[in-house]
Amino acid sequence: MADTDLLKLTISELAPKIKAKEISPVDLTEAALAQADRLQPKLNSFITMLHDQARSQAKEQEAALMRGEYRGPLQGIPIGIKDNIATAHIRTTVGSKVLADQVPDEDALVVTRMKEAGAIILGKENLEEFAAGSTSNNLHYGAVHNPWNLDHIPGGSSGGGGANVAACVTFASLGTDLGGSVRGPANFCGVVGMKQTYGRVSQRGLQVTSFNGDHIGPMTRTVADSALVLQAIAGYDPLDPSTVPVPVPDFSEFLDRGLSGLKMGVPSDYYFDMLDPEVESAVRAAIDAMAELGVEVLPVGLPSMKYAAAMRIAGMADSIVTHEPLIEKGRDDYGPTVLYRTLAGQFVLGRDYSKALKVQRIIKEEYARVLQDVDFLITPSAPVPAWPIVSESVNIAGKDYPTRGPGSGMTSRCTSPSNSTGLPAMSVPCGFTTGGLPIGLQLIGRPFEEPVLYRAAQAYEAVSPSLSRRPAIANY
Amino acid sequence: MPIEKETMKAMIRDFHGFEISDEELDLVAPALNGYLSDMAMLRGLDLSDVMSGRLIHADEGGEK
Repeated sequence: MADTDLLKLTISELAPKIKAKEISPVDLTEAALAQADRLQPKLNSFITMLHDQARSQAKEQEAALMRGEYRGPLQGIPIGIKDNIATAHIRTTVGSKVLADQVPDEDALVVTRMKEAGAIILGKENLEEFAAGSTSNNLHYGAVHNPWNLDHIPGGSSGGGGANVAACVTFASLGTDLGGSVRGPANFCGVVGMKQTYGRVSQRGLQVTSFNGDHIGPMTRTVADSALVLQAIAGYDPLDPSTVPVPVPDFSEFLDRGLSGLKMGVPSDYYFDMLDPEVESAVRAAIDAMAELGVEVLPVGLPSMKYAAAMRIAGMADSIVTHEPLIEKGRDDYGPTVLYRTLAGQFVLGRDYSKALKVQRIIKEEYARVLQDVDFLITPSAPVPAWPIVSESVNIAGKDYPTRGPGSGMTSRCTSPSNSTGLPAMSVPCGFTTGGLPIGLQLIGRPFEEPVLYRAAQAYEAVSPSLSRRPAIANY
Repeated sequence: MPIEKETMKAMIRDFHGFEISDEELDLVAPALNGYLSDMAMLRGLDLSDVMSGRLIHADEGGEK
């Protein structure tokens, strides 16, 4: 099999071939490293590449397989890790200059779990400085480019991961999502991004994070692959009090149950208010397609979402506290966008912080009520498709909003509410603009009901216009 | 209404915040103004009965 064909396979397709020793983890890793080397000058998707470690891990996994030690579907699969997730003895920059030389002593728990599952880590992936933004145009490490159009952003902050998965460099990447940083790049790069329920996956080892709604989640090319990766990283971590000791179901078991019998809510408030016409058209077409597949479609109201912007106030206050020691250590090494937005947080009053938490509570209650009547919600993943890297602003519903810094939250307005509610939400590709840029839809479910999202997403994926499409740059 | 620079400087001084020059205060202003406009939006919202333990019922739910 030619390397390009090999790299275009999914994890679900590769796993049985690796188990049957028809495909060698060493050969697969070499092909992926070659693809990474070829595309790094174009995509700039890695901050640190790990050729030697990847080759060594691949040899270990191949030897294990030869000894009859099968570790599951991720064994021998090349992946990427966002560079704000700790990796033992490998620098973890968080996309910053301040931490450019930081070398953690131990792996984040999710890295440990991926290694135990036999995955091969190709490198640490580029991101927005301190994961604080939706462009992945990093001041210190350069801009990540969208594989569908190199002049456009890949989304952020996990842009390197989104670009790598779409361009068939990695088969999965672990990103982090505090406002849509997994689902955004997944949307803009035409791949699947899962932000599972808050508490489902340990955050231990996630660097410079927030106490309010950060998540580590997978980006993959298919829904089935997402289920496999989440399976590997999910579960209670007694050393991370944010995780919840609930059983982890076999996510893959639910994939083929179809849409019949499920109720899907279409919000009449907020999510469809400010959309690019091509995005709205693609998502509405997906709703129709899912109705044809048997889901019952119901309009639902989320009137309190008009106050959603207030929830970011808590984030402002969290941010200054999180960054305090780093600003003291290396203020001059901060990019101005992150620095001044962060410094503004020191003026947030405790009274207003508490009000923001009350608004968060109202909105959580509203979702809880609505999700008693429907099994999941469908929304766009972003109001607009990927914009040019050089754009300082993006037009949303006739008004220009900045792409970076204050006001740029408009670009992640569809994803950020699920960080405040903690509800599981995933982005699934649902078509392309006339200019060839990906469009995604978002499914939002009840707490710890990722299986329902996987079931719905898998059914839709089979009829999605995005099915099996890869960017031309993925080809040799 | 924007916060006066003198107020911000006093807050930094009295609450041991990060020093910010006059020029930098201008750079902080957009984020700060966003915060103030978000709070202004909440003025008409009654939050008095929002408690972490309040009972909710499905039939209170949003419009259909």
